Amino acid sequence: MQRRGNLRPGFWLVFWREFSWFRRRPFLVAITTVVPLGLLMLLSAIFSAGLATRLPIAVLDLDHSELSRQIIRFVDATPDTAVAVQVADLAEGRHLIVSRRVRGLLMLPQNIERDVFAGRRPEVVFFYNAQTFTIGNLTLRGVNAAVPTVAAGVRVALRTAEGQPVEAAQEALTPVPVQVHALFNPTLNYVFFLLAALLPGVLQTAMVTTMAYAMGLDVETPHRLRILRRLGGGLWPAIAGKALPYTVLFLAVLGISDLVLFGILGLPLRGQSLVLMLAGVLFVLSCLLLGALLALVLRPMATAISIATLMTAPAFGFMGIGFPRIAMNWFAYIYGGLLPGTWYLTARIDQTIRGTPLELSWRPVLVLALFVIVLAGLIFIRGQVLRARADAASAARLSQSREAVT
Amino acid sequence: MTLAVFRNELHRIFSLKPVYSVIILAALVYSVFYPQPYLNEALRDVPIAIVDQDGTQSSRELARLVDATPDVAVALVLPDVATAEREVYLRNIYGILLIPQYFERDLLHGRASPVALYADASYFLMYQRMSGAVAGVARTLGAGIEAKRLIGLGVDPAVAAAATDPMPLTVVQLFNPQGGYATYILPGALILLLQQTLLIGVGLLGTLPGANVARGAGARDTSGLLYQAVTIVLGKLLAYLTVETMIVLFYLFGLPYLYGIPRLGSVVSILAVALPFSLAVGALGMVVALIFRRPLIVQLVFAAIGLPFFFLAGFAWPAEAIPQVIRTVAVLLPSSLAIDALVNVAQLGATLPDVRNELLGLWLLAALYGGIAVLFEFRRLRQSVLPEPLPDSSSYARP
Repeated sequence: MQRRGNLRPGFWLVFWREFSWFRRRPFLVAITTVVPLGLLMLLSAIFSAGLATRLPIAVLDLDHSELSRQIIRFVDATPDTAVAVQVADLAEGRHLIVSRRVRGLLMLPQNIERDVFAGRRPEVVFFYNAQTFTIGNLTLRGVNAAVPTVAAGVRVALRTAEGQPVEAAQEALTPVPVQVHALFNPTLNYVFFLLAALLPGVLQTAMVTTMAYAMGLDVETPHRLRILRRLGGGLWPAIAGKALPYTVLFLAVLGISDLVLFGILGLPLRGQSLVLMLAGVLFVLSCLLLGALLALVLRPMATAISIATLMTAPAFGFMGIGFPRIAMNWFAYIYGGLLPGTWYLTARIDQTIRGTPLELSWRPVLVLALFVIVLAGLIFIRGQVLRARADAASAARLSQSREAVT
Repeated sequence: MTLAVFRNELHRIFSLKPVYSVIILAALVYSVFYPQPYLNEALRDVPIAIVDQDGTQSSRELARLVDATPDVAVALVLPDVATAEREVYLRNIYGILLIPQYFERDLLHGRASPVALYADASYFLMYQRMSGAVAGVARTLGAGIEAKRLIGLGVDPAVAAAATDPMPLTVVQLFNPQGGYATYILPGALILLLQQTLLIGVGLLGTLPGANVARGAGARDTSGLLYQAVTIVLGKLLAYLTVETMIVLFYLFGLPYLYGIPRLGSVVSILAVALPFSLAVGALGMVVALIFRRPLIVQLVFAAIGLPFFFLAGFAWPAEAIPQVIRTVAVLLPSSLAIDALVNVAQLGATLPDVRNELLGLWLLAALYGGIAVLFEFRRLRQSVLPEPLPDSSSYARP
């Protein structure tokens, strides 16, 4: 027992005890490192393409003219869409859409060429599956780009037929052209948008639930809590010693996931890496403290883990990446604001793709710092309450036994 | 025998608090909690800033038209792009519409008069709304100007209209007429929630004490034990199916109705897909219990795993863009097949022959995981009858 020489109660005793637990419970290591890293690899592989291109659509060509073939060629040539199949009627097209073999159906009406050049304005109709939001929008973007391009050619032809010179006709086609600049993510890459946010989202759940478990092991009964307090020489050093090993492990996982994102998948780091790291540390700490608090408040431990899961597993939707927070109802807006992940993702987007200037970067970081302070305060209060309760109970026991003696 | 197992398992579902909490309570809580962010359906009035360097009648008209669209709202009018950029960094606005000087003069001279939109693409939905709205306004405005010019040149008004837009593109949004976000995400997400709650619940049932009523009594030979193993697994699956029937009805019919999600599929065809899905998930839950062995491990492993499962299904991110290897492996998860099949049937109105591959796949998964569960049950039964001829070494059979 004297081998290590410094078995005095305190922070380091609890710290090393936690590490020896890892050796005894390999599953705890798995849950903190192997599972998140495995999910990280899986998600990276899913999104590795970054862009979804050449989504299949069907074409119903009722005209078989030069113009209709030109439209089909242009739709097939956009990066977003590919003409996968030509169908004979609407029913066949519908069948392909509902069995999800194509994402949309472009219908070119009969006599489209004749009617266009006669100025009868025939309609080109595009039916698409809007149930799958993202994918539907991508196919729509492709068709929306291709058909007006063909129409522009027709317009120039119509004008030159009216006697306008070609150059003047081309110039006059779009009186108000819009130059759209996609700020921060010009290629609209899903890796930078979604994958970069998903990984902290997954990690948030892993951190809160794991800490609820690890803390739960030590505080499930008043007796165990007393042991922990003795080992740590007080509640604070004990909890700090308990949380530090997990902080180290999860920061390592976050670091590895960032290495993959920055190194392999090419996520830009346009802001301050120090601010990003600071936000990462505060994020990990607030998640771990939240888990610890749940374990201190809820018993048995299984309940603490269940509530931790309930709170964080559906959290990704509340963090406002896919569907922005400004469009949410008040409940979702407030709940999202109470999640550490929301603010970490804000700081992360700021420091990676946005390159937010330093003086405008502090808000999310300060919110995370506030989370850490408030959660630590709540843990302290809860610790005092539990201690007072335990003292009262032992005092009652003592007086009982005294009464029994007298 | 099957009936005894069925009754015991059903009793355990309602009497074991952790199981009851996850299969029934969590399913109810999630049904209210999960959809909250999306209930407003659409993103409207994305705040943008106008930087009007022209300050003319025409430029103000353009700003007014942009503000009038449902998608964006002009929140600020700022003197220069640098000030506006600062507001973008602070997330007070998400886009900047720059109307350059001489916007009106160029228009009046019949020249192209470009405007620039700087739209925040760190949130795709915002970007899409802003670029769509501004492009739409510019197109309408441009078409009006162009038609006026042509008429001014003496072109017949009907011909002028045809010359500005000779073949209008009509877009028909199928299955989600308002383009709502809840309509998009909830049908898939609810199926995933069904899978998660049942999977964790069955995983807990298999790892908590009291799972084994039968101890292989009576039968000694292999075929007898195998028969017993099959009846035990069937009895359990039947119990899960009974409970899940209520929840599936609530999730696949009640919730879409409450949240106003269109449903085109018939009740029978939806249930025809839900049946093998529930069986496959229940059987997979038993395998999960065999792999992880302790209730807490089941809880912890499955806490974080749900989110990645969602993206495996090729629902939010197109299956065409997912590497083939991953797509092949993903089929082992009931949710990957079921989200496709159930959404196609329920929301798109596909018939059962349309989704026969997914349907067949779900039955095969149910058989596969059920088979694995039977094998493990068989092994357990054989071990439990082994020690009887050798009473001295009974401790070795069950370590």
